[in-house]
Amino acid sequence: MNKKLIYLILGVVYLVIIIYGLNAVYNVEATLRPKEAPAVKPENKIAIAHTEIFGKLERPQVIFYHNKHSEALKQEGCKTCHPADEFDRLGFDFPKKVVKKDEKTVMNAYHDQCIDCHKKKSSENKKAGPVVCADCHKEKDKSIVVQYPIFEFNFEYHDKHVKKLKEKIGKDDCSLCHHTYDIEEEDEALALVYEKGTEESCYYCHELGKKRGPELTAITRVAAKKGLSIRKASHQQCLNCHLKYQEEYLKKGKKEACPTECSKCHTGKYKTVAELEKVPRPARDQKEKPFINIKDAKLKGVTFDHKYHETASKTCRSCHHETLKSCKECHDLTGKPEGNGINVARAYHDVFSEHSCEGCHNKKKSEKDCFGCHRNIPIMDIESVGSKKEACAICHSGEIKGPLSRPPLSVAKLDPEKVKKEVTVKVLEKEFEPSKFPHLKIIEKLVKISNDSKLANYFHKDIQTLCEGCHHRSPAAAEAKKDTPPNCRNCHSIAYDPEKLNKTRLLSAYHRQCLGCHEKMSLEKGRKCADCHKVKKGGPTEITHIKNENVVKQNKSRILQVWRPD
Amino acid sequence: MAGEKLETVDIVEEKAEGPSIKSFGNFIDFLKKELKPKGNIATPFNIISLPIMLLGYVFIVLRLAYGLGKPVTNLTQEFPWGLWIGFDVVTGVAFAGGGYVLCFIVYVLRAEKYHPIIRATVLNAFLAYLFYAGAIVLDIGRWWNIYNPMVGNSFGVNAVMFLVAWHFFLYMLAALIEFSPTIAEWLGMRRVRKILGALTLGAVIFGITLSTLHQSGLGALMMMAKSKIHPLWYTNFIPILYFVSSIFAGLSLTIFEGSISHKVFGPQIDEEHHKSYDDIVVGLARICALTMFGYFFLKAILLVHEHAVPYLDSTMGFWYLFEVIGFVLVPCFMFVSGAQQKNLSTIKFAAVLTIVGIILNRLNYTFIAYNWYVPLSERYWPAPMELVITASIILSEVWAFRWMVNRMPVLRKPPAWAIEKEH
Amino acid sequence: MDRRTFLKIIGSGIASAATGNLLTPGRTLAKEGPSAKELYGILVDTTRCIGCRRCEKACAEVNGLPIPDISEKANESVLKTMRKTSPTQYTITNLYKTEKGSFYVPRRCMHCNQPGCVAACLVKAMRKRPLGHVTWDLNCIGCRLCMISCPFDIPKFEYNKAIPRIQKCNLCFGRYNKGLVPGCVEVCPTEALMYGTRRNILEEGKRRIAQNPDKYIEHIYGEYEVGGTSHLYLSSVPFEQIGFRKDLGTVAYPEYSTGFLYAVPFIFVLWPIAMLGINRATKKSKEDEGHHEEKGKH
Repeated sequence: MNKKLIYLILGVVYLVIIIYGLNAVYNVEATLRPKEAPAVKPENKIAIAHTEIFGKLERPQVIFYHNKHSEALKQEGCKTCHPADEFDRLGFDFPKKVVKKDEKTVMNAYHDQCIDCHKKKSSENKKAGPVVCADCHKEKDKSIVVQYPIFEFNFEYHDKHVKKLKEKIGKDDCSLCHHTYDIEEEDEALALVYEKGTEESCYYCHELGKKRGPELTAITRVAAKKGLSIRKASHQQCLNCHLKYQEEYLKKGKKEACPTECSKCHTGKYKTVAELEKVPRPARDQKEKPFINIKDAKLKGVTFDHKYHETASKTCRSCHHETLKSCKECHDLTGKPEGNGINVARAYHDVFSEHSCEGCHNKKKSEKDCFGCHRNIPIMDIESVGSKKEACAICHSGEIKGPLSRPPLSVAKLDPEKVKKEVTVKVLEKEFEPSKFPHLKIIEKLVKISNDSKLANYFHKDIQTLCEGCHHRSPAAAEAKKDTPPNCRNCHSIAYDPEKLNKTRLLSAYHRQCLGCHEKMSLEKGRKCADCHKVKKGGPTEITHIKNENVVKQNKSRILQVWRPD
Repeated sequence: MAGEKLETVDIVEEKAEGPSIKSFGNFIDFLKKELKPKGNIATPFNIISLPIMLLGYVFIVLRLAYGLGKPVTNLTQEFPWGLWIGFDVVTGVAFAGGGYVLCFIVYVLRAEKYHPIIRATVLNAFLAYLFYAGAIVLDIGRWWNIYNPMVGNSFGVNAVMFLVAWHFFLYMLAALIEFSPTIAEWLGMRRVRKILGALTLGAVIFGITLSTLHQSGLGALMMMAKSKIHPLWYTNFIPILYFVSSIFAGLSLTIFEGSISHKVFGPQIDEEHHKSYDDIVVGLARICALTMFGYFFLKAILLVHEHAVPYLDSTMGFWYLFEVIGFVLVPCFMFVSGAQQKNLSTIKFAAVLTIVGIILNRLNYTFIAYNWYVPLSERYWPAPMELVITASIILSEVWAFRWMVNRMPVLRKPPAWAIEKEH
Repeated sequence: MDRRTFLKIIGSGIASAATGNLLTPGRTLAKEGPSAKELYGILVDTTRCIGCRRCEKACAEVNGLPIPDISEKANESVLKTMRKTSPTQYTITNLYKTEKGSFYVPRRCMHCNQPGCVAACLVKAMRKRPLGHVTWDLNCIGCRLCMISCPFDIPKFEYNKAIPRIQKCNLCFGRYNKGLVPGCVEVCPTEALMYGTRRNILEEGKRRIAQNPDKYIEHIYGEYEVGGTSHLYLSSVPFEQIGFRKDLGTVAYPEYSTGFLYAVPFIFVLWPIAMLGINRATKKSKEDEGHHEEKGKH
């Protein structure tokens, strides 16, 4: 009997595990879906996790409420928690006393700094923070992600700073923020210098992790050693200055103070290029309209409207990706190490680069207003252009004070006989009514877009250029001579060509041309079938009529099916 | 069960000459007599099983009328194979593996110790194939085309299923030939009995070859489901795993079914056989333990070989470990201890565990670890009708087995004229 | 040998050849096997598909299936859920919202170069036709192994019928014989579906990628997946984001079962020899035979 009982219990145990196991296995799919981390408003909170030191965390991360602490420690001041350096500047590395960066030291340092202070405060019968583990390492905060949007120090902010500081000091003093690192200087303490006329963006030296040229790499290496990423450097530089003036403002009772809270700078709101157009750019005695001429180059020089181009991007770094010097100082005809081997032709003309002239122009062509036509026009590469000198001559005028704009286009000179006001497409009429579209209206709109954009205006030398946006394979000059309009069906056949099955047929030529343009230009109308052609009343309901007879027989038949041979 | 007591002496005398079947008319009369139930009809087993069987037959008619969809089965487009193929066919055939293993032991290796149970095992194997592989007819959607793999001009010779189908058919014939001497004895046909006895070795060798191939073939069917079976179960050596596991699956079922038979048909069995039975079970337990040990190591090696060890740390990993440790390693040790101490109850429990483990293993490949990443709402559970039909098929097989054991010299000694020479 | 023996031999030879011929005419008549002709396929450009579902309607018309409602209203609600092909829909279009925008992806049988379903079919109901179409025929027994073997889960079984069939796209095999393109291709307004020989459409796909590197990612799905398929897909975003599995490998699916199939002849020959050998080796000598007869074994 005893044995039987054991077997019975064992059997029950197995049965229970089977049921539990099957249940778990059948519900496995739910565990495969990645859990989405709940998005949380930053609100000056900081997530302390240090996964770079601890790896997988044993206890949940700690969400640190900075506001609470700055409120509570107003009297004591920031230096209670923030370390200060020899120049009395606050640092933003925590915890304060950490020499080694290993798990135990860091953990103890945090605990010593935080819990000790909390204990002290509570012993003074003041409102204090938690001292028990789970009160800081809250389970519910486990998967919260605290992320602050990147702050963009755009030209508007720069301009404000320049003006305000000039007000305060009475003159322009760029050295308040700008410095360079003299790599030759042996004494590190004296390496940070300021030289007028060399003010550049912080990102050049402090954006660690980005590949730079030989000169800058040496400097970024030093910055990396000191841990001076753009984040650390900018906080150190900006916040300390703000804190200094903050005290002044508060003493004077002014409400408008320099921002010292996280969310005041990290707003997540960014200005667009258009909004920054009127903002004055930092002045460093740059030429307004330099003439770019390369000695011994094949083509003539280019007049470059630098002043206009300053307003066309958000930062100088879009073009001046390594330094504020001119391109040809690092990129010469044959290519040198400073320019990463890229020669001057490629530096200006690489169609896929973000920094070259052609690259940026190419990108502008993918904007909403341009992409309707330009999605189909192949990118003009040096290799593809060949010996079409007139395309190059648009920029390479060779004149020092060359033309920087062209006269605006107009539809006035178009022949109304040749350029129809409205065009009806009925060659494919079957289940839909013929489609009528406002030809002239479209041309007028394109002309307006071209005239409004400086880039478009410069490159669209006459109205025939615009025609080629849709009439893509018929050169305007040839079309002008003919009596018949450039019909799509001249090249795109209606039926399938069994030899050339991949030649675009008329049906798809129409739809891809029209729908594609409407989609890329984000137009509201013209996206649904009925917008262009209504369903024909009394028209055919079937869209194709020749059937797979055997399969139809199978699918429609109800009689017994028997095996039949091949 | 209790009501089926038969007098040993009467049977031996009665069968000593055997029925005289001289004509077809005689045969019909004989069959009619044999079809009459012997003993008590209203046993508990009959009372429970008969309604289930009849209900099952009704459901089978429904299945033929309505097709394979709901409510007959819960099969879906994601899970085309369910309980019928997964359990009836694949697991049932694995369990019938006892037939070929025991034939190998008795006829090829000539271990006469196991001779007493060979007929019951072969009968079981034959009936298992007949009923379970026959249950395929129920599960395939276009069952009227069932002869297509056998007859015609459109053989898919690259298909593993083609091999499996042919082997099922041929193995049924081989098992029938192996069992036919018993039928000849039952019918009293002496000359036929002699001829059939001579065919036994050939049928056995043919049967073992076929079994090796179709037991592993059932595994090879799943080879093309690589993207759907969980990496812990999918390996390039699934056929070998199926073959090895069929060995101990079949033997475990032999132990399990043997212990029930020996209780139920006890009176038919003579003293000598009864005494040797314990030895037989212990011997089978040893063979099982050895095979399971080998199987376990195979699984472990394949786990490493397929770089699947990281998957162990997951829900599916737990299920896998449960199957391999709980249903392979634990019964293996129980078999070893039971065999050493000659403790039959341990061995029987281990056999039951192994049987459950094999069912789990085969069902894992069919619909548990197959398409395992599909949400709960799309998962497959057997429908009630499926369960009833499966139960009725199993019970029908048991009834057929019982009918034959009660009338043919399966467990009892054959007639004196049938004792054969050394083969 | 004498005349009689000679005639006997010749006669039996002819007889066996004739019976062999009768039993397996497919083998002796050298029926058309895979030839060197071109495979046809479809290039599906998911950046061109506008989700109008005319392909679904055309497919239903051409194959006698229930016609879906493809009005604007119906499309809006239908495209909200992820659909799979079904016994009444050989092709379906799904909407995927990604960072680069919304994409519509038509899915149907991929017509693999070496289909798993064809290798799995024991009665050759699933066949790969000489020009690439993978079709189903009525001698099917309904075993559903093709459904298990398809990495894309395409064959669908008519569970709700007493006379069920396997349903899937057959690349409009019936229309090909009339010189037509598949129904879906004919009606696609933006030529998201391009029909042609696999060689040509592969070339076209590569050309599109080369000329529009910003528009497409540099991968044609189906070029090498599962040994190559005849339905090739182009995409703007990584394929996992538009519902394709990236873990299917480049091995053709029938290769997975060839390992086992190659072992079969060896086992068929070696096992009987080995077992016969063991049986003879374990045979006891004549002296012991007397003992055994007395014991009366059965």
